[in-house]
Amino acid sequence: MERLSLNENPPNAPQQRQPQQQNTLGPASQPTSGPPQLPPQMFTTAAQLLDLTDKKLVLVLRDGRKLIGVLRSWDQFANLVLQDTVERIYAGKLYADVPRGIFLVRGENVLLLGEVDLDREDEIPTSVTKAPFEEVFELKKKEDSQRKAGDKKRHRELSALGFEPEHSGEILF
Amino acid sequence: MLFFSFFKTLTNQTVTIELKNDIRIRGILKSVDQYLNIKLDDIEVLDLDKYPHLSSVKNMFIRGSVVRYVILPRSEVDVGLLEDATRREAANQAGKAR
Amino acid sequence: MHLSIVHFEYSIGVDPRAWRFLPEAARPAELRSRSPKLLPPPPPNRPPTFAHLTFLPSAKGSMSFFGFDTNLPRDRQGGPAASRGFFENPDPFAEVARASALEDDDAIDFEDTYDGLGDQLDDDQDAFNDDTFGGGGGGTDTGPVGKDFDFFGKTATVADAIGEEQIRYSLQHPQAAPAAGQSAQPAAAPAATATTKRSGYEKYSDPGFIPDLQAKSSVWGISQKKPEPIPTQAQARKMMSLEEVEAQMRNQGYQSSPVPQSISQHMAEPSYMRHHQDITLPDGFPTIPPEVLRAQLERGGPPPGMPHPPPGMPELHAGPPPGIQGMPPHLMMQGNLPPQNLPQGPRHAGPPPNQRPQQIPPPTTRGPNGGLPVITDPQQLVHLTEEQRNAYLVEDAKRAKRNHKIFLLSRGNGLMTPQDKNFITRIQLQQLVAAAGNVADSDPEAVLAEDFYYQVYSQIRGAPRQHPHQPLGHFAQTYLLQTGNRVGGHGNRRAFQSADNHMQRMQQQVQRAVEAAKAKPKNKQLIIEGSLGKISFSNAKAPKPMLNIKRPDSSEGPRPKKLQSDLSLSDRKSILTNIERVYSALMSMEDMERTMPPPPEEGDAEAIQEHMEWRQKVHALNQKLWHSLKVMEPIVPNSTTPHPFIAFLSYPKGKKAIPRIFRHIDQEQRVTILTMIVVHLDSLDVVRLAQPVPGEAQFSVAMREAIDLFSLAVMPSLLGYVNEAPFNIIIGLLGLVIAQTHVQTVARTKVGLGILTMLLSRAEIVKEAGQASERDWQQWVEKFNVLFDTLEPALADIFPGSINSGDDMYVWQFLAAVGIGASPEQQQRLVIAVKDRVMETVAYSKTLPAEMSSQRLGNVNLFMRAIGLDVELLG
Repeated sequence: MERLSLNENPPNAPQQRQPQQQNTLGPASQPTSGPPQLPPQMFTTAAQLLDLTDKKLVLVLRDGRKLIGVLRSWDQFANLVLQDTVERIYAGKLYADVPRGIFLVRGENVLLLGEVDLDREDEIPTSVTKAPFEEVFELKKKEDSQRKAGDKKRHRELSALGFEPEHSGEILF
Repeated sequence: MLFFSFFKTLTNQTVTIELKNDIRIRGILKSVDQYLNIKLDDIEVLDLDKYPHLSSVKNMFIRGSVVRYVILPRSEVDVGLLEDATRREAANQAGKAR
Repeated sequence: MHLSIVHFEYSIGVDPRAWRFLPEAARPAELRSRSPKLLPPPPPNRPPTFAHLTFLPSAKGSMSFFGFDTNLPRDRQGGPAASRGFFENPDPFAEVARASALEDDDAIDFEDTYDGLGDQLDDDQDAFNDDTFGGGGGGTDTGPVGKDFDFFGKTATVADAIGEEQIRYSLQHPQAAPAAGQSAQPAAAPAATATTKRSGYEKYSDPGFIPDLQAKSSVWGISQKKPEPIPTQAQARKMMSLEEVEAQMRNQGYQSSPVPQSISQHMAEPSYMRHHQDITLPDGFPTIPPEVLRAQLERGGPPPGMPHPPPGMPELHAGPPPGIQGMPPHLMMQGNLPPQNLPQGPRHAGPPPNQRPQQIPPPTTRGPNGGLPVITDPQQLVHLTEEQRNAYLVEDAKRAKRNHKIFLLSRGNGLMTPQDKNFITRIQLQQLVAAAGNVADSDPEAVLAEDFYYQVYSQIRGAPRQHPHQPLGHFAQTYLLQTGNRVGGHGNRRAFQSADNHMQRMQQQVQRAVEAAKAKPKNKQLIIEGSLGKISFSNAKAPKPMLNIKRPDSSEGPRPKKLQSDLSLSDRKSILTNIERVYSALMSMEDMERTMPPPPEEGDAEAIQEHMEWRQKVHALNQKLWHSLKVMEPIVPNSTTPHPFIAFLSYPKGKKAIPRIFRHIDQEQRVTILTMIVVHLDSLDVVRLAQPVPGEAQFSVAMREAIDLFSLAVMPSLLGYVNEAPFNIIIGLLGLVIAQTHVQTVARTKVGLGILTMLLSRAEIVKEAGQASERDWQQWVEKFNVLFDTLEPALADIFPGSINSGDDMYVWQFLAAVGIGASPEQQQRLVIAVKDRVMETVAYSKTLPAEMSSQRLGNVNLFMRAIGLDVELLG
């Protein structure tokens, strides 16, 4: 029954429609001489998030939080829903994991979203070691206040030169 | 929409993106959207030691608002055309302002 | 319906009608009940990898279905093919996959895998069912069927073996698996590595991708109640789930034949919540302890990377034919969408292949098998070296680990339905349309400007396209409208109309939004009371400014220098303004070219009128262009500031504009430009600033670039005119060079010599062609003699730097052009003047590699032959 619809090609198929082979071969088969005309829907937030859906991701927020969880839903603002989220805090050469559960993140707070390579995720870089949460948290608080002081000074000097703060006065991590 | 239009031509090119928090990421530009959010594949974080949380990341969605620079392959930019596009954009904006 | 048991075996999982013969537990849990809960805990168990049962190629029809061969695979090797167990045929989809991979590696096509047997079922012939199945129809009660048809129960008892074999197969056939996506095996994952280069956007390359606006209400478990078992035949047409049908069959025997007609439309309802159901084990089920199922599930769990609808989906489309009554409208809708619009349609029962690689990466630095030989047979493992075997096992363990992770992740898959995603994509497309502003905008050219760079760039560097000048916004809009038509274009299906209306509403909405946006004054920021923060209106089109430099007040700090009131036409700012004006005129003219009306026919007053208007506009633009070029500005003798047009040419942008300008001006304008350049030859930046400096082999990078640009952009345009110019103009131009410029300065530069060569060679061609009148020629010779006499003392200095500094070809070209036109006496003087350089070059070329040597000698010979000599003569 589903095939039946195949034959129902719209009488006025979209003019900009590309050859059907595009569908099967994908852009990879395009001539490498330059970008082919790609369909507009490829250049949407939705297209970018599409293949990150139901994947394990690292989410970095504007305030420096790092959340690791499974992306379950999103919208055009990159508002995100993460499931089974773990917050990983880093300080110095230490890190700690805090289970957090489900997150709904407002898009504007998203800095970046990285898909975790499931093969490599357990290879924690040797530069950091796991430590108890309290220890890491204390260390982090100290680091943060230091950084804040430094950033404040920098911003003051930059704004004297006419630079608007890059992120509305907030500190990015 | 000039920048959107421009970045669209860079799909499948290797670019380096510097974020406002100084992280630099090199990868293949897969897509860009109207907010200049960027999707990078096969990424490599420069100075990875400083950013252990990105050690196992392979693809990345970067919010446009946190990008500071995008470093592009020069050969992939048609300067003359870009100039014209800029002129058109400017004319367009001027026309709308009126 | 007359069914043979063999036939029925083949069609399991393919022919939806065959489903009814499966016992309840054999069907995936998702078909049995729905949970409205959003993210309930994972189910305690799940029927063993259902996908194993999906398809059996008919060629292998005689294989045992129930009596699984429990021998180890290696024990079976070499046995007759017919004796292998069903699952020895490693992947039931492999053949289909291989076949279809030739033309479509995207996914299995339902049509390819469907043997059509279901269509042969004749529902009217159900009377024979009893003959076939020993049922008690026709009043002959032969007793209950019992568990004879409890295929799943039997299958489940060997579920472990199935799982093992599947995994083993997947390891053996890493390449065959990806296309066989329907097998939905995580073990198939390694195979996906072959396609990891996919971008994940393949689907999007089909402009028709976005199919449907319907949010899938069924996901949330609200659309349909689980139907009651069918008590009477009259109700049988309504809704009947498989389990009910089968339960009926098992418990009551075959009492009636409504079953075929009511084939479980229920199945057609996709349930994404399949993992979260309380599974009530049916009668035939308890033979398998839950932990076995669990283990099975983990090994053969949901497909990797399955983004959304899991194996429950295929049935959706394999469901009842459209004629079936009582089908929920949204299902009709779903079923009638073009398959390419359904990313998770039957062709993608597994994850769409383009998504799979995203989830299952290959070990990043190595190939699918980590550089190991491809294991196609477990016996091969035995022959591997210890090292290889270990590596292989490590890979294997890694894979298993990853698959387990994927399984754990996949428990919540499908929360977001493809329809949700499409809906958001559509919203964004509309934003693009709105941003481009062409909904209410009648001027398509304004829209083209929005995406000009991409459109033209793609045209230049990419594949040609059908409608290259349609701006993106237009595309997006067209796309939206046409998708609406596509979905709604079939009036016979009421279900589509809602989508159609929806489209119209969205369209109107966009229109209103655009209107509103135009009417509203643009605030940069808005703080809504009680909101969490400021709402910024900065966007891609009007980004937030990063620099905010306040002008110092007049009282304090240095004021910027007051602009001189008598703005010179040649100050930097006005030159740049002129250049921009030229470009703006050029672009308008280029746009005019595109919109040129077809040549009017005789008597078509309207068309003639249109054409006249068009020509008028073009003429007006031409005048604007000409004016902006400042060619006609009066020449101020002995002025310290260059002529505005020469200043124009001193900018790269100005040089680059020349070829485009020449396309849009007439011959008279061209000769005016050429004259202007010739008159000011020694004040061109590429002449004035390009004088060789003794001791410096090369110019600055900027100057070299300027010279190259002039040679590439300006010279061809000038040459194009000169090559057709009448002789008297050439004579006039040469006269101007002699009279107005410092010839020796001009001759010391590449550009200057180039222009002289241009004139000299054209004169020679005119003469050779016999087009020069005697009087003209006399005039020319006079001028030529003056030129020659002026140049002669400087001839040794016109070479760029020393002999080894590279390109001097243009000098030899010039000398050749002089040589041809020179009298024998002049030729002699010429030879004397450049003799040293000739000898040097000949000597130097002997030290060069053959190729470079012959090139250098060839350059010299260009000149030598012009005066009837040859370097060969020099030894």
